[in-house]
Amino acid sequence: MNPYILAILLFGLGLGTTITFASSHWLLAWMGLEMNTLAIIPLMAQHHHPRAVEATTKYFLTQAAAAATLLFASITNAWLTGQWEIQQITHPLPTTMITLALALKIGLAPLHAWLPEVLQGLDLTTGLILSTWQKLAPFALILQIQPSNSTTLIILGLASTLIGGWGGLNQTQLRKILAYSSIAHLGWMILILQFSPSITLLTLLTYLIMTSSTFLVFKLNKATIINTLATSWAKAPALTALTPLILLSLGGLPPLTGFMPKWLILQELTKQGLAPTATLAALSALLSLYFYLRLSYTMTLTISPNSLLGTTPWRLPSTQLTYPLAISTAMTLCLLPLTPAISALLIP
Amino acid sequence: MSLLRITHLPSGRLLSAILHHQRLLPSIIPLTVPKRAVIQGEYKRPGQPRKAKFPWKKINFNFSKGLEGIKKHFTLLKKEFTDRWVGPEGKPIVEHMLEQNRAVWEFRGPESLGEWTVSSDREIGGHSEAYLKLGRNNNTCFLYGTLSSTPPRDGETRYSGYCTMRSKQPLASFDRKKHHDWSSFNTLHLRVRGDGRPWMINISAETYFSHQKDDIYCYFLYTRGGPYWQDVKIPFSKFFLTHRGRIQDDQHPVWLDKVNTIGFTLGDKADGPFQLEIDFIGVCKDYAHTEEFAYEAYKRNPEV
Repeated sequence: MNPYILAILLFGLGLGTTITFASSHWLLAWMGLEMNTLAIIPLMAQHHHPRAVEATTKYFLTQAAAAATLLFASITNAWLTGQWEIQQITHPLPTTMITLALALKIGLAPLHAWLPEVLQGLDLTTGLILSTWQKLAPFALILQIQPSNSTTLIILGLASTLIGGWGGLNQTQLRKILAYSSIAHLGWMILILQFSPSITLLTLLTYLIMTSSTFLVFKLNKATIINTLATSWAKAPALTALTPLILLSLGGLPPLTGFMPKWLILQELTKQGLAPTATLAALSALLSLYFYLRLSYTMTLTISPNSLLGTTPWRLPSTQLTYPLAISTAMTLCLLPLTPAISALLIP
Repeated sequence: MSLLRITHLPSGRLLSAILHHQRLLPSIIPLTVPKRAVIQGEYKRPGQPRKAKFPWKKINFNFSKGLEGIKKHFTLLKKEFTDRWVGPEGKPIVEHMLEQNRAVWEFRGPESLGEWTVSSDREIGGHSEAYLKLGRNNNTCFLYGTLSSTPPRDGETRYSGYCTMRSKQPLASFDRKKHHDWSSFNTLHLRVRGDGRPWMINISAETYFSHQKDDIYCYFLYTRGGPYWQDVKIPFSKFFLTHRGRIQDDQHPVWLDKVNTIGFTLGDKADGPFQLEIDFIGVCKDYAHTEEFAYEAYKRNPEV
């Protein structure tokens, strides 16, 4: 893409999120969300492939619907309460509408149906931006509203973890697997939102690091299906040995970073008297763990049939930048011992 | 009619004046023709008798067929649920990883012909014919007929003479669309016996919205006549993109994760009889073929 246009679009993406972060007026927040949507649309459709155009169209329609609902809800709130403050939204009707609009924005079940198909139509870099950066702005708003209906959020959260687990079970396309993993993680984030928003923030940040790590691994191997990933032992043997650990971190196993949010969420849910919810969430994590384990199995624990030609690429150095991958992998694997420090920072 | 005259019309004629809106405001509304379906009715295939039946007479209520349909759909639904326990596409993951060849269409019985649609330019009024039957020993399919490039006399068609055989879209339970997922493979493998004519293989992938509906990826199939079978292996990287028959500038490789149909077309402007016998159509993974795309993409500033 023309570097000037790319710079404008990336700048627009950054600006949109920053505007939403910095705003205390609903209209400004909505504007930031719309800028994000519009800036990423050309990035998604830059390869003029029918599936990319289809993904772009689906993304645009869902995000525009969510933004319109958000605008409508904030106007309703302004009408009912007379003010536009983001943190002062108290009437239950606009609060519920905004929660649902933001759920559609990020892809929470039951408003998740667009996410696998949209991610499948994109290349891995744009998919990375969609899974990570585009979640920040809606979460900034979610964290600020005080949701009053606890049942809705618990149902959204549990439905997301279950659907994210079951949906990803028989996928062979890596981008769809990551989409369902995203849905499951978002479910965990929403479960704890009303009790401790700082744990939601912590879960979001760890999810961003783990997902970036995974996407960058797939990008390095140029893999979009499981079978391509299965031959990555010949391209980057050290990375093939590390990737199961990244995937298990996504699955939430100790002693890796991914365990930290799950532990804190289960602890907080139990303290709040929601032990059955905590049990169900923990069991649904097993479903997600199954497909992460399957990826690890096909990638590292088995040697896939390959031609003689395919066993030598590891001898040649890769031309891709591996610095971001190195940082995010290190953070994905090693941050669990820092839990006390991180909780002291984030949780008041 | 001018507005003044309209006000003096009796109400019955007002309605007809609305239908002939052209006369209401002739200078403002450009000349518009109502939809053809409104004037002539739905599209009528040439050769089909015109049916003048009332809608309620078209219902064909057959209890046993209904029951069979319910059984079939629920069996498919149950299979979908139980396949999930086994693995992707109903196969264990190890089998999915090891799969190197898959015969997608094998013509081993009369029910296999039901998966294919045969058409020719008879639909637009031409004179070609195409028929599909099972070959010898119920082991192959046999597409035969006559090609005639006489254009139909409707005043607007200039060229004619084509016959085609296209697979039907695979359907899951309750007639939902399903796709072929050939992303683990990279080569199309056919075993055919033709008569020396050049055919074109068309692969149509899933296009969801509007303008890409007629996007078809094509490649040629040159048959050598003769009694010997011909094994044809075409990598998917060789398929080029066309839209409504025209090769596009902006080329890209076919995405194999949602393939809808495959078709064979004959349109080589040579009048006369034709035959094509197909033993099987399969896909295979050729590890030695590493080419991603055979044609250059339409990039204005390519990275060199």
